[in-house]
Amino acid sequence: MAEENAPQQQQAPAPAPASGRPQGKPPGGARRGKRSFVRKKKVCRFCVDKADFIDYKKADILAPFLQERGKILPRRMTGTCARHQRWLTVAIKRAQNIALLPFAAGR
Amino acid sequence: MEERVYDLIFICRPDTPEPDVDKLVSTLEHAVTEKGSKIEKIEKWGRKRMAYRVHKLQEGFYVYMVIRSSHGELVKELERRLKVSDAVIKYLTVRLDEELKREEKLKKIRERRAARRPRKATAAPAAADGQAAASL
Repeated sequence: MAEENAPQQQQAPAPAPASGRPQGKPPGGARRGKRSFVRKKKVCRFCVDKADFIDYKKADILAPFLQERGKILPRRMTGTCARHQRWLTVAIKRAQNIALLPFAAGR
Repeated sequence: MEERVYDLIFICRPDTPEPDVDKLVSTLEHAVTEKGSKIEKIEKWGRKRMAYRVHKLQEGFYVYMVIRSSHGELVKELERRLKVSDAVIKYLTVRLDEELKREEKLKKIRERRAARRPRKATAAPAAADGQAAASL
């Protein structure tokens, strides 16, 4: 096996990435190919904290999930899971009602 | 009617003297106890900057209380009082018992799961030991 592989690489240096893939691939080598960036998987912050309840009174926790102008950030931006996003929107809307968070920031 | 838990927050004008706020709180307290309900918590958050202007005011005096009640009309009565009061510029009542119940339930599930996991881990080696003993 080792004898076979070695001559192959010597004969055809051009398609090296193709032959390189089935072999053991070090993470650095794989990234060198077509996809040059690897997106980091976002994790739901509330799942990490094991939150069973999102308190609308803690504006400092909710604030990072708002855009600058006061819009609620979508899930795809923050990585929040569906369940926590649902709770989060309710909490944010309550906080808005009692002026802890803005409806629309700006002047 | 079963007991319900409410959060009640109201905001007073920042220029109201503190005795007036205390008076308002005590009247609310009186209204609550009159109906056979009870106040679990009263917190004065004090002067805070509001996220947007209300009645052209940028700041407000926040008061927060938790009420446990089984009287349905109580919230209506409290909100009426707050609406009538001149010092109050904003108020919010949130029914919270169902969410607290959900939180408790989820917490229980989590605990149960946490309790089960180590037991499984200890059970596996024990079983392996038994097998080993049997083979010997």
